[in-house]
Amino acid sequence: MFILGFGSFALAAIIMLVCLGLTIGQLARKQHEISKTVRLLTNLGFSLHSLSILTLLYLQITQDYSISYVVNVINPALPTYLRVTALWGGQAGSLFFWSWIINFCLVIALNRRHILQDNWGYLFTLINLIFFSGISMFLENPFKRVWELTDGNLAESLFSPAAGAQVYSGLIGQGLNPLLRHWGMIIHPPVLYIGFGAFLLPFGETLSHLMVKGDGEELIARLRPWLLVAWIFLTAGIALGSWWSYDVLGWGGYWAWDPVETSSLIPWLVSTGLLHSMFLQQKKDIFKRINVILILSSYLLIIFSILITRAGLISSVHAFGESAITIPLIVFLLASVVFSAAVVARRWKKMDSGWEFKSWFSRDSLFLYTLIILVAIALVCTWGLLYPLISRVFTGTEVTLDRGFYDRAATPLLILLVLLMAVCPLVGWSVSNLKKLGKRYLIPLLVAVLATAAAYIWLSKSWVALLAIFIIALGLAVLVAVTWRDLHKVEKPLSTFWKMRSRYGAFLVHTGILLIMLGIVGVEGLSDSIQGTLIPGDKMPLGEYGVEFVELTSNYDTPEYLSVRAQIDLWKGDEIVARLTPGQDVYEARSQYVSIPGKRSTLAGDFYTIMLDYDLMMGYVSIQATINPLVNFMWIGAFFLCLGAAFSLSSPIVREQALGDLEEDEN
Amino acid sequence: MKKKPNIKLIIGGIVIVIALVYLVISATRSNTQYFMTVNELLTQQSELQGQKLRMSGAVVGESIQYDPASLDLSFVVAQIPGDHKVIAEMGGLAKVLADAVADPNAPRITIHYTGVKPDLLKDEAQAIVTGSLDAEGVFQATELLMKCPSKYESELPDQVGD
Repeated sequence: MFILGFGSFALAAIIMLVCLGLTIGQLARKQHEISKTVRLLTNLGFSLHSLSILTLLYLQITQDYSISYVVNVINPALPTYLRVTALWGGQAGSLFFWSWIINFCLVIALNRRHILQDNWGYLFTLINLIFFSGISMFLENPFKRVWELTDGNLAESLFSPAAGAQVYSGLIGQGLNPLLRHWGMIIHPPVLYIGFGAFLLPFGETLSHLMVKGDGEELIARLRPWLLVAWIFLTAGIALGSWWSYDVLGWGGYWAWDPVETSSLIPWLVSTGLLHSMFLQQKKDIFKRINVILILSSYLLIIFSILITRAGLISSVHAFGESAITIPLIVFLLASVVFSAAVVARRWKKMDSGWEFKSWFSRDSLFLYTLIILVAIALVCTWGLLYPLISRVFTGTEVTLDRGFYDRAATPLLILLVLLMAVCPLVGWSVSNLKKLGKRYLIPLLVAVLATAAAYIWLSKSWVALLAIFIIALGLAVLVAVTWRDLHKVEKPLSTFWKMRSRYGAFLVHTGILLIMLGIVGVEGLSDSIQGTLIPGDKMPLGEYGVEFVELTSNYDTPEYLSVRAQIDLWKGDEIVARLTPGQDVYEARSQYVSIPGKRSTLAGDFYTIMLDYDLMMGYVSIQATINPLVNFMWIGAFFLCLGAAFSLSSPIVREQALGDLEEDEN
Repeated sequence: MKKKPNIKLIIGGIVIVIALVYLVISATRSNTQYFMTVNELLTQQSELQGQKLRMSGAVVGESIQYDPASLDLSFVVAQIPGDHKVIAEMGGLAKVLADAVADPNAPRITIHYTGVKPDLLKDEAQAIVTGSLDAEGVFQATELLMKCPSKYESELPDQVGD
C-alpha cells in the first residue's frame, strides 16, 4: 500500500515535471496552444495524484501504523468519518490534500476549455502545483514510514534509513486531537481549500493574458464565473470556521481576530473589492488596471495566508507549529509578488481606461470608495498581523497587538463600509446631486429612524448598537425601496427579477452582510450571562428563562473518553422548553478534556450553557448560561452571501437592456 | 493624450491616507503588548508594573486552582526561553516545558485570571498570557492561549480563553 500511495504520487510528480518541460519548450517556439500530449498527461497526472490521496485515505481508515502520519492522527477508537477527515487534521496530510486541490482546479479549468487555454496560463498554474507538490514530496511527505533501527531506536523516513532497519508498526497513535473531533472538521477545511485553490485559476489566466495581450479587455468577462465561485467557497469556508469556533467552546467565539482568521479575511476583503470593481469594468469598461491588480493580489494574499498558518511565525489558535516549509514559502511568495508586479508594470500603459473622476456622488465614485475602504481594512489587518515581526526586526523585542487594535482600527472602517453599502443602491449611475438623492431616501430614512427608536425603547441604550441598528434598518429599507422602484412599473416583475439575477444576487449578498451585522449586534451588545453552582433541583434565573439542574450523568460512549453531562431543564415561564446537556468529554489517557456546550437555538437567539466544573461524588455542577440574542442571523447572513453570489453567477451581467432604463430614468 | 491630474482626487487621496495612518497609529499605540519571558518579567518587575504585556511560560500542574463559582483561576508558570530557535536547540518545546516544570530553581510567576478555565490548561502546557503585573507581582491575565505539544502530535491546535 505504501508503494501504491508513494509510487503514484511520485509518478504524478514526474508527469508534472514532464509537462513543465513540454510547455516551456512550446513557449520557446512561440506556440501558445496547449498540446494534446500535455492535456493527456495532465489528466493522467491528476488521476495518479487522486489514486495517491485515496491510498492515504485507505491507510488511515485501515489504521496502518507503519505510516508515521497515521500514527500522528489516527487511533483505534476513532470513528471512520474522523479517520477520513484526519487527512486534513495534520500538517503533512493537509498540505498533500492542498496540492491535490490545486491539481483538481487545474484539471477542471483545462477540461472545461474556458480559461487557461494558453500555454502561459497553464504554465503559471502548473508552477504553483509543482511548488506545493514539491513541499509534500520533500519536506512534509505524508507517506513517511516508521522504522526500527538495529539499536532499537525508531526513525521516520520514506525508505530504509540504515542497513538492517525494519518497518515498525507498533506505535499506536493518540489520534486526532479531541478538539478537532467535530463535524465542522469534515467541511470547513475542504471548503476553504477549494476557495483558496479556485483563486489560482484567475491568477494564472490574468498573468497569461498580460504576457500575451495585456490590454485588460475581455479578461473580466471570462473570469467572472470563476471569481464568483472562488469567492463563494472562500466566504463559505470562513463562515463555517466561524460557526465551528462558536459551536466549540474555547476557540475564542465566532471571531477572535486570531492571526489565521485574520489572514483568511484579507484575501476575502480584497476579492470582495474585486467583485465591485470588476462590475464597473463590465458595465463601463473602466478600472482595468485596478482589476488586474486585485485578481493577482487575491491569490498572492492566499499564499500569504498559507504562510501565516503553516509557518508558525505567529502564535495562533490554528498554528501547526514550527516547520521546515517556512523559508521555501517565503521565497515562493516573494518571487511571485515580484514577477506579478513586473508583468503588470510592463502592460501598465496599455491598460489605461481613461476614467475620470466626475462627481462625488456618482455610483462609480461610491464603488471606488467601497473598494478603498475594503483595501484599507485589509491593510489594517496586514499591519496587525505583521506587527510582531516588524517590531522584532526593528526593536529586537517582539510586540504584539491585541484584539483592542482591531476593535479600534477596523471597526470604524467596517461601520463606514456597511453605511456606504446601505446608501449605495439608490445612487444613480453617473452624476447625481444631493437634492435628488434626498427625495429617494425619505422613506428608508423614516423606517430606519423608527427602527432605531424601537430598539432604544426595547433593546439597548448603547450608542454603538443603536448606530448599527440604524444602518441595518436603513440598508434593508433601501434594498426594498430600490427593488420596488425597479419592479412596480414593469409588466412582468417576476421575469424581470429573474432576468436581472446579477443585480438581485448582489442585493441578496448585501442583505446577508446586514444580517451578519445584526447577529454581531446581538452577541456583542445584547447578550446576558449568569453562572452558579447547583445541586440537583436548584434553579437559577436568566432573563425570562430558568435553568434547572436535574442530575449529573456520566458514561463511556466509547472506551476512549468518559462523557460527563449535566442534565438541565430550560424553563420559559411555567413550562420546560428544552433539555440541555452541557458537559465534558474526559480523555483520561491523554489527561485532556473537551467542553461540550449545551444549547437551544431559535431565530430569536441562542441559549448557551457550559459546564464549568462538576463533582461526580457530590453530584454538583457549576454552570454558566448565556443568552446570545440574534446570533443565528450571522449564519443566515453568511448563507445569503453564498446564495446571492450563486444567484448572480447564474446569469451574465446585463449590460444595457431593461436595467439601463430602470436605472437611469431619474437622471 | 495626457490628462490633467485631478485636484479633487489628489486631495481626497491625501485625506484618506492621513485618516488611515492616524487610525492605525493611534490603535497601535494603545494596544501594543511586549512579549516577555518569566525571567524578564521578574527582573524588570518595578518598571513593568501596570503595562500591558504578553508572556509565555510552562504551566505547573499542581499549582492550578480554580473556583467555578467565582471563575477565579490561578496557576504558576515557570521560565522557558522566548526564542523559537533556542527552544529547538534545547530539544523541542515538549522537552523544554517538562524540564521547566521539573526544575525547582526555574523562575516562576503566579497568574491570575477570571473566566472559564481553558480545556487545555494542564501540567506542562505552554501558556501564552496577556495582561499586566499588579503591585504584588501577580500577573493579572485578560487572555489565555494554551499550547500543549506532545511527542506524536506536533499538530495540536491551541486554545484561547477570553
